[in-house]
Amino acid sequence: MKMMKTFIALLTVTVLMAGSAFAAGKKIVVATDATWPPMEMVDKDKKIVGFDIDFMNEVAKAAGFTVEFKNTAWDGIFAGVEAGQYDAIISSVTITEERQKKYDFSMPYIDAGQILIVPKAEKGAKLADLKGKKIGAQIGTTGAMEIKKVKDVELKTYDEVGLAFEDMAAGRIGGVVCDEPTAIIYALQKGEYRDKFKIVGKPFTKEAYGIVVKKGNKELVDLLNKGIKAVKAKKADAAIKKKWLK
Amino acid sequence: MTFKDTAKNIVDVGDGAAIPTKSDRGLFTAWRIAFVGAIAALAFLAWHKPDPYFNIIKFVPDGIVVTFKVTVGAILLALVIGLVTGLGRISSNRLFNGAASLYVEVIRGIPLLVQIFYIYYALGRFVKIPDLLSAIIAMAVCYGAYMGEVIRAGIQSIPKGQMEAALSLGMTRGQAMLHVILPQAFKVVLPPVGNEFIALLKDSSLVSILAVADLLRRGREFASESFTYFETYTVIALIYLIITLFFSKLIGIMEERINADS
Repeated sequence: MKMMKTFIALLTVTVLMAGSAFAAGKKIVVATDATWPPMEMVDKDKKIVGFDIDFMNEVAKAAGFTVEFKNTAWDGIFAGVEAGQYDAIISSVTITEERQKKYDFSMPYIDAGQILIVPKAEKGAKLADLKGKKIGAQIGTTGAMEIKKVKDVELKTYDEVGLAFEDMAAGRIGGVVCDEPTAIIYALQKGEYRDKFKIVGKPFTKEAYGIVVKKGNKELVDLLNKGIKAVKAKKADAAIKKKWLK
Repeated sequence: MTFKDTAKNIVDVGDGAAIPTKSDRGLFTAWRIAFVGAIAALAFLAWHKPDPYFNIIKFVPDGIVVTFKVTVGAILLALVIGLVTGLGRISSNRLFNGAASLYVEVIRGIPLLVQIFYIYYALGRFVKIPDLLSAIIAMAVCYGAYMGEVIRAGIQSIPKGQMEAALSLGMTRGQAMLHVILPQAFKVVLPPVGNEFIALLKDSSLVSILAVADLLRRGREFASESFTYFETYTVIALIYLIITLFFSKLIGIMEERINADS
């Protein structure tokens, strides 16, 4: 019996210590869906790299914590933060009203917008011109939500945006909507797609990315905001922008 | 390899579903509890908490239609592929036999998910086929190999004397196969084909990875925008369960009829 008590006491101490380690701001686990170049992707050495990764590391440095990245599929990435599998998400997450109802966001750290990519032969210049066609986007993204709003255009959702581009190359869909930096990578830089696709028009939404944390985790939001403010104050984000976004 | 009536008593576990028959009381009762329970659970959730449960149920029906389209299309195509493969596997023509055996070996050695990805995107490279048809072809190529084995076993279960009798009546081997062996084999393979059908119905959820808007895909779309992951997958699981239980019962009845006939 005595042993049991000691054991429980030890267990309690361990749990408490684990909790306070986070409060002291030692290590924060951050999820990212590394299929979204150039914001987050996996490089040749299987390392997660990209704008968000560099930015998060800067924020961590400024606010005094370390980051461990966890590559997580987008479909379900929000469920993971809710279940406490990780502390935060940095994955080009647009701050939207619906998402704010369920999760807390840091302050915005970069602006973005959705843009349309179509095959070279396409004459339409905006989503509404592509009536009767299937348009692809990654599941649960703001791009997918924008396509849904347009009448007579059928939304097709993919697990990764790269699969949508491959389907467009195979002629199965008539367009793809995604964030502008990612569109540039796929439509203008990737060898075999460069001759097949074109970007039409300018970004048609105004969005801002934020870092997601579990609802009510004010402590972490404050910590992240402190870091973001510091990074912006010393203009460290400009160098990261220059490195990843041309 | 010979198949006699006793072959039935050998361990017979398929990947489809447990087929409830009257002779197995335990399973029969379990089927009733699961079927009625699943429907009741779904109805209760929709009534008790319409948001989000009823909204989910309203969102997914076209996905169920696509799931059926994929399943039925793939099973029919797989039957054709399987018949050719099954005949090839027992053929004395070395080329035909070799090709069929190679196909079975290759397909059975690759995970279904990998095959679906591969066939879907490989098809896209060479021919312009719409997505739903590509998904059906991918599933059928996978299941054709398994179906081929089922049909081969079915043909081999027909006693040799049947073929000999047909040949002595002056039929060619082809005629004997078509008019004597295959009709008998058909009865034998119906239950395992039914089992494959249920297995395929469940595996059809894998095509959601190809952005085919099936039941699972519709569920994922709903969950990813409403963030109701737990609730959505509860509903999706219950719907799959109701569908497979329904079909396993149907196949059980079919099997009993066939047994009663013979």
